[in-house]
Amino acid sequence: MSTRAQMPVSGGASEPLPRPESQRRFSEEAVRELEEIASHYPERRAAMLPALWIAQREYGGFLPPAALMEVAERLGRPYAEVEAVASFYTMYNFRPRGRHHLEVCTCLTCSVVGAFEVVHKLEELLGVEAGQTTPDGEFTLSEVECLDWCGAGTVIQVGDRYYGNVTPENVERIVEELRQSDDFTPARLADSIVKLHLPGGRRIDMKARTEAPAAASVDQRRSFQPPATESAPPSQ
Amino acid sequence: MAELKVLFKHRDEPGITEIDTYERFGGYAGLRKAVTMERQAVIDEVKASGLRGRGGAGFPTWIKWNGIPKDTSRPHYVLCNADEGEPGTFKDRELMLALPHMVIEGIVIAAYATQSRTGYIYIRGEFVEPAIQVRKAIDQACSRGYLGRSILGTPGFDFDLHIHMGAGSYECGEESALMSSLMGERGQPRLKFPHAPLPVIAGVWDCPTLINNVETYACVPHILVNGGAWYAAMGTERSKGTKIFSVSGHVARPGNYEVEMGTPLLELLDLAGGVAGGKLKAVIPGGSSVPILPADKCAGVNLDYESCQAAGTMVGSGGFMAFNDRTDIVLLMRRTSEFYAHESCGKCTPCREGTRWMFKIYDRIVSGGGRPSDIDLLLSICDQIDGRSFCALGDAAAWPVRASIKHFRHEYEHWITHKRSPIANPLPPVPRPTNPMLTLTAR
Repeated sequence: MSTRAQMPVSGGASEPLPRPESQRRFSEEAVRELEEIASHYPERRAAMLPALWIAQREYGGFLPPAALMEVAERLGRPYAEVEAVASFYTMYNFRPRGRHHLEVCTCLTCSVVGAFEVVHKLEELLGVEAGQTTPDGEFTLSEVECLDWCGAGTVIQVGDRYYGNVTPENVERIVEELRQSDDFTPARLADSIVKLHLPGGRRIDMKARTEAPAAASVDQRRSFQPPATESAPPSQ
Repeated sequence: MAELKVLFKHRDEPGITEIDTYERFGGYAGLRKAVTMERQAVIDEVKASGLRGRGGAGFPTWIKWNGIPKDTSRPHYVLCNADEGEPGTFKDRELMLALPHMVIEGIVIAAYATQSRTGYIYIRGEFVEPAIQVRKAIDQACSRGYLGRSILGTPGFDFDLHIHMGAGSYECGEESALMSSLMGERGQPRLKFPHAPLPVIAGVWDCPTLINNVETYACVPHILVNGGAWYAAMGTERSKGTKIFSVSGHVARPGNYEVEMGTPLLELLDLAGGVAGGKLKAVIPGGSSVPILPADKCAGVNLDYESCQAAGTMVGSGGFMAFNDRTDIVLLMRRTSEFYAHESCGKCTPCREGTRWMFKIYDRIVSGGGRPSDIDLLLSICDQIDGRSFCALGDAAAWPVRASIKHFRHEYEHWITHKRSPIANPLPPVPRPTNPMLTLTAR
């Protein structure tokens, strides 16, 4: 008997595809937030992106199938639609990220002012390649497209924070600073974004931030130091 | 010529993000004046100013405002496009960080002129820090009666402004894709005029929708306070007012510079401290989407829509990038094409396939496998994308490649013949050998 004959007869379209079980992990506050945000739009469906941000926070910084299912149920949309929308956007994570996700801009301007040297230094410091997570789950290193702070290249995004003017020399300090901090995790980023939709927002002491080393400042002008000419071109 | 600061006049005042300070420097006077005027008079003032959209296309702003139906049988919406994603551009980021009230004031004036009751600022997901300032400013504006019910005591003028955060997509900066994303869909562009009505007739939720860039809205309060004629006195015959250019790349003092439209391109470069690390090789004056301009063609080009067009490039969104003589144009364009291949939304075939093909060909060239026919093959793909894609992302992927071949064909030929860069230690550096199959950034 062929293997084919042993397979159960499929009912075709009438038989539902396996779907993830919803875990209903949204807290009461999360549900309140979702309802308030949904009231901003004439259609409930428009709360899709904010709902996915809430889910990314509630499920610990990424979106497992159960999280997508919960969003589908709470918005009354098909699971396939939620997955289709979530997979379009790069900031929704389908897999867990490290406690700190270092996203190094290697787009046009950053790439000509030394972004790849920063990436290589980070690879050396963390012992992983771009696209990987350290075995201890502390850091994920990624190369990303333009973060639009080109005047301060090289730029790194970590959670909801931008670091500007990063060089191979000062990047080690950023890594050390992050090891001590719990403020810039993927879940915290999702939380900040959710709160931005709501009056009051998330209270962040911007002053303390702008005075931190290597942090963002409003006036972006600074002296430019061309990348060292001696350094061997990477990976040749 | 120096900077001409209209929007940035009070940028460096401490506390300008707070409503008290903003009001002390004349903030919300434009809105106060607007609500005493007829709605059409506000639109006429914007018309008199000659303001053109600052997001990249340079479309006359008043035409959009005037196109919103005068009856309110269906709700009207005002959208602010703060999904700044163009490589080389960071003006909206700074406007939101430093002058959030100015942006909000412009949006509320637009809401008054177009009888809109609801507005959304669509901010790219990465811009949490700028969005925090906008959030705070919205809350303060609400508490002062600049948002909410009967704004400034004007009966019937109710307006709510919401923040909608993106989640990482360049394509959502395209206005119809932004509307898709706002409605909770994949950020793909929608059918446009002449096959579908303009957004001013049927935009979000098929209702009349006004959408402008952050910088465009920030210009509006100044136009209301000082008059359209005052604004139109700045700039050139067809490019009025001032424009913020985000200067980056190989310059001594990168940053945002507000200059009068029509300022010579090389003067902007001088304002930013001139070229750093070598001699000027090329500039991209308006963000990664616009054609590259070699150094010897820069003299005589002014930063206004017409002069840039005559020189074969564009003002675009004002993302001015300068490159010194260590820059390898083929490697630079490889990186540009990688960006567009990554950001193409996949809706239409010319862009989805074409951007990936171009990146593969660049990859072949810089890994030493370039063929003499590759240059013409790239040009042929550009022709297949340009004008044939669903939205402007495809065009934007083709223009820089075509211009780089036009001006720097010898560098392509050098790569193909010698299988290495014509520059000893090029920028950007030669990439790691990549898989022949296109590998996009792992999610």
